[in-house]
Amino acid sequence: MSAHSITEPSATTKWISGGLVVAYAVVTLIPLLWIVATGFKTPADAISYPPKVVFDPTIEGYVNLFTTRTRVTPEQLESLPPPEGIAEEIVRSYGMVIAGPSRFGERFMNSVVIGFGSTFLSVFLGTLAAYAFSRFKIPLSDDLLFFILSTRMMPPIAVAIPIFLMYRQLGLSDTHLGMILLYTAVNISLAVWLLKGFIDEIPREYEEAALIDGYTRFQAFYKVVLPQAATGIASTAIFCLIFAWNEYAFAVLLTSGTAQTAPPFIPTIIGVGGQDWPAVAAGATLFLLPVLIFTVLLRKHLLRGITFGAVRK
Amino acid sequence: MTNSVITAAAEKTPPSVARRVRGLSDRAIAWIFVAPTIFLLLAINIFPLIWTVRLSFTDYRANRLNREVEWVGLRNYERILTDDGIWMNMQATAHFLVWTIVFQVLIGFALAYLINKKFKGNALWTTIIVLPMMLSPAVVGNFWTFLYQPQIGLINYMVEFFTGIPASSFSMLGSVELAPWSIVIVDTWMWTPFVMLICLAGLRSIPDYIYEAAEIDRASKWRQFWTITVPMVLPFLMLAVLFRGIENFKMFDLVVQLTGGGPGSVTELASINLKREAFEKWRTGYSSAYAVILFVTIFGLASIYVKALNKVKAR
Amino acid sequence: MRDFLDGIVRLRRGPWEMLATVLIALGVVMLMQPLFLWAYTWSFLVTLTGTVMFLVVSHFPE
Repeated sequence: MSAHSITEPSATTKWISGGLVVAYAVVTLIPLLWIVATGFKTPADAISYPPKVVFDPTIEGYVNLFTTRTRVTPEQLESLPPPEGIAEEIVRSYGMVIAGPSRFGERFMNSVVIGFGSTFLSVFLGTLAAYAFSRFKIPLSDDLLFFILSTRMMPPIAVAIPIFLMYRQLGLSDTHLGMILLYTAVNISLAVWLLKGFIDEIPREYEEAALIDGYTRFQAFYKVVLPQAATGIASTAIFCLIFAWNEYAFAVLLTSGTAQTAPPFIPTIIGVGGQDWPAVAAGATLFLLPVLIFTVLLRKHLLRGITFGAVRK
Repeated sequence: MTNSVITAAAEKTPPSVARRVRGLSDRAIAWIFVAPTIFLLLAINIFPLIWTVRLSFTDYRANRLNREVEWVGLRNYERILTDDGIWMNMQATAHFLVWTIVFQVLIGFALAYLINKKFKGNALWTTIIVLPMMLSPAVVGNFWTFLYQPQIGLINYMVEFFTGIPASSFSMLGSVELAPWSIVIVDTWMWTPFVMLICLAGLRSIPDYIYEAAEIDRASKWRQFWTITVPMVLPFLMLAVLFRGIENFKMFDLVVQLTGGGPGSVTELASINLKREAFEKWRTGYSSAYAVILFVTIFGLASIYVKALNKVKAR
Repeated sequence: MRDFLDGIVRLRRGPWEMLATVLIALGVVMLMQPLFLWAYTWSFLVTLTGTVMFLVVSHFPE
């Protein structure tokens, strides 16, 4: 195309539209930057008015996030050996000592285990099903695909009522296995739809050539199709992981202790007189960071993921 | 046709090799591959669904195990569908749904239109704008309550800074007038990028030659916008609107963290109300009927959504 | 309009799906409108009819 194509916007248009988009992006980033900043404030700085943009950074929020602390008398404080490390020092400056680790680490690990477990399962099962839907004639396949998709649309609270009763009967309430199965069931619809799109794009000729070369159908599937679909599988996995990572409604209704994930836990981090905002912000920062990184990695496939593979660019 | 190639090849190979070539029949493989998915969905979605429908005709209470369960027929449905309170919850849901869609479509489309002007660095800024939508609504919603604090919050401070209205004179989440709008603001912040991305795909699917032809016909830019851009993007926009509609009809996590349904019940959306009935008041039978009503509505909307999806796919 | 009625009579998928879509949309509006309690009361039946209809007619020939 020539550089003077009539559909090419003028330089002025580009400047104006660029400026407006950047302005929106900056405004939209403020809440996120505020979360990160609050994580490095002291509780006093966090709730000062007017809100502080410039402040002395401290890791107090992170210390409070990972520890539980108890108040001691000044005499007891005197009698203790000198503080080891910066964390001790910060806690003691408030007349307290570290009593032990908080629950945050555990909850975070629950998120990791349940997230990865359900992602693995849904991508594994989803790849098989997507391959079958893509390559074989399955009776009523349109209805099955619609049924699979519609399960994802269901309101979690409404689904949670019978699941709650069922899990209570089966002893799956508040267990990792229960949550992994549940999130797999929710994610598998997305996995099937997305992966079907990716596998549809792989030319059938590759497999047919392999079949003629003496591969069985199964060998052709995992030696020819799987490597070709690797990018698709990876991005599907990230979408499933993000969903399981962010999920709140099922988690808050079906878990309370052992298997509780981070989203229902973070809002319950309490300090003196209400929420301990620097600790909450520190937890949120650690929790949101992986998703931010994944989003940047995924940017080329984002559109596919959010439209169940309908929009491909 | 492809099958005949395989058959022809198979006929020329010795029987032992042929068995290896065929392995399991395609039909068997198809079922082995699909079965686990279907089984899982039957166990964790369909079976519970049928159970919900059954329970919806009873007065079962999940917190009283030894109580005798009575069959009440359609009474639960009757009570829900004549209940003024639940009707109000539906209206609260409608307020949330309609305004979030209006704002997200207007802002999202505008942004997509601007990004499509292909200024330098547009890909980078698109990625930045998209970030909020990928985050955990519960965690982010919880943090927004901090931004909305009347005494110390950033939002109130900014309002004071720009308009002079004292920051401590109003509470975004605590006031009956403001709370329904506060949840609209946060949802719009979070999900505008979603509409933007889909609109952008729509804009990019319009081939240049259509505009070139219009230019040759001396159609004004304004006319081109209404006769080319808008109609071509419309199917994509429909998809985005339907999806946001479904999502916000069942909205729970973000709003429950922001307001918990309050003040009073002005932001008590259908899902939050249902959670109260099912898991706080433990009226399991009654809330099952409530759940069925939401199910059917969403199932209906989902059918329309899939229709819209196929329309876009055909492009 | 002629085509629409023709399609209805001859049980074609397009117009029937359109009809079901309209019913579902109507049901959803009835469910959430702030004006008439009776409309709220009957909304579920309308949505249910539309949804079931959609399931059935999507198997009609094009």
